[in-house]
Amino acid sequence: MTIFPAASDKGPPAPAPDIIVLRRLNLFYGTFQALQDIDVTFPRQAITALIGPSGCGKSTLLRTLNRMNDLIEGVRIEGEVLIDGQDIFGPDVVLTDLRKKVGMVFQRPNPFPLSIYDNVVYGPRLHGQPGKAELQEILERSLTAVEMWGEVKDRLKTSALSLTEEQQQRLCIARVLAVEPEILLMDEPCSALDPLATLRIEELMQELKRNYTIIIVTHNMQQAARASDLSGFMYLGELIEIGSTGDIFTRPKDSRTEDYITGKYG
Amino acid sequence: MHREKFIERVLLLLALSSVGSLALITIFIFLEGFPLILSVGLKDFILSSHWAPTKGHFGILAMIISSVLVTLGAMIIGVPLGLSCAIVLAEFSPKRLKMVLKPTLELLAGIPSVVYGFLGVIWLVPLIRNYLGGPGLSLLAGSIILGIMILPTVISISIDALTAVPDPYRDGSLALGATRWQTVSRVVLPAARSGIITAIILGMGRAIGETMAVIMVAGNALQIPTSILDPVRTLTSNIALELGYAAGRHREALFATGIVLFIIIMILNLSATLITRRR
Ligand SMILES: Nc1ncnc2c1ncn2[C@@H]1O[C@H](COP(=O)(O)OP(=O)(O)OP(=O)(O)O)[C@@H](O)[C@H]1O
Ligand SMILES: [Mg+2]
Repeated sequence: MTIFPAASDKGPPAPAPDIIVLRRLNLFYGTFQALQDIDVTFPRQAITALIGPSGCGKSTLLRTLNRMNDLIEGVRIEGEVLIDGQDIFGPDVVLTDLRKKVGMVFQRPNPFPLSIYDNVVYGPRLHGQPGKAELQEILERSLTAVEMWGEVKDRLKTSALSLTEEQQQRLCIARVLAVEPEILLMDEPCSALDPLATLRIEELMQELKRNYTIIIVTHNMQQAARASDLSGFMYLGELIEIGSTGDIFTRPKDSRTEDYITGKYG
Repeated sequence: MHREKFIERVLLLLALSSVGSLALITIFIFLEGFPLILSVGLKDFILSSHWAPTKGHFGILAMIISSVLVTLGAMIIGVPLGLSCAIVLAEFSPKRLKMVLKPTLELLAGIPSVVYGFLGVIWLVPLIRNYLGGPGLSLLAGSIILGIMILPTVISISIDALTAVPDPYRDGSLALGATRWQTVSRVVLPAARSGIITAIILGMGRAIGETMAVIMVAGNALQIPTSILDPVRTLTSNIALELGYAAGRHREALFATGIVLFIIIMILNLSATLITRRR
């Protein structure tokens, strides 16, 4: 146990405001360059939206942050990605720990074909041997965080595939929250959902923002405008500009950003 | 137009005739064998091990037990081997390796069983005789040979089952910080369960029905085995060995044995179909 000396009224040093720092990130699929010289920082406990036309590299960028791109054959990555000051491609990074810290929600809800219960406790069971009581506590906390506890607490043993798409996506978020990540990557998490469900997931994101750093990819301009604090516009593998969502949508600096948000690229 | 109708008719006729001949075979087997089961009584037929067909004793229990044991042994050897092979090929190998090895393995299914039997007699039987004792021709030899023979079936169908598991499941698991092996054992295998069970059941059907290789290596002694080194005679072996000289009631008894096999294999295939469909 550490006792801070009374003289120190500063307490422990505040964490750096930026949780993710990318430096000159280049990514190649074989010979095709999908990301070009990306230099950007993502602040803590904020929602950053990535927008841009199809194929501009949004998902690729997202998948770099939890190293899911490692699974693709022929990927080459140059540059640095620092998360909490640590280079995620460094030699002493444990990949499974990185992915635990940087959770991901996919475009299509992908609950495992297991029970609701087993879906939520899947992650915690990977990273330790939690007891029954602990699992119950994680289960309740995670499902409450996505506002599903009341709905499903009486049918935890039923298959997750029996849920609606929205519930499935919430369950997938709960499943990620159960491993207590710091960062949530969301790749078009609402594209399979109807407008009402989309709004509800956005509300949920506002709740989650208090504890998590969220980066969301979206094709939906209104969603980016409504739900994010910062927006970044990507085009042909480059990050053209990033700034507060208000600025990007009302006075973009780059003409390509303007063309995109006014719908010229469709 | 006329031409097309004609081709359609011909195809229909061919399809019907193949189904028809299967039906005829079934009816024939039942007609030939059923009267004997009726006259001996089902109980004395399958629950007695006294087989002396020329003296009027028609108990096939020893052969049923031998068939079951040889098949069980084949599963104990073939399923873990085949399943791990399928897992490695489907989940842990580059796609290209899988594309080369899977057809090669399936080719193994095309090797005539007499070749497996021959290799068994030459290599395996002396090995068992010299190192484990007994005559060598044994339950164990039969199980090992059959275990190898069912590998292509088990591997190929299991690979198909694993490949059919959608990638988003794997991604979801890996993204939660699971290792590849955790992902396979906790998500992919449960998701592929019905396909894998089908693979095992079809492998089992193949093992029970196999005749030639078993005759060559299992020793064919008419007895209920007390050790895995004892020689045994399976249902199929018995039919093949005795049909050449059997006549009258003896011949009927062999057909009745065929009925028992037929029913066992029908049950296996039916359950495989049901399990696959339930997905
Ligand atoms: N596995 C891969 N192998 C080769 N090229 C790829 C691979 N994945 C993506 N690409 C290419 O990289 C580029 C960026 O793809 P990415 O999926 O990141 O785009 P995106 O911005 O997410 O598009 P969308 O909005 O359609 O999801 C595209 O040109 C795509 O064709
Ligand atoms: Mg994408």
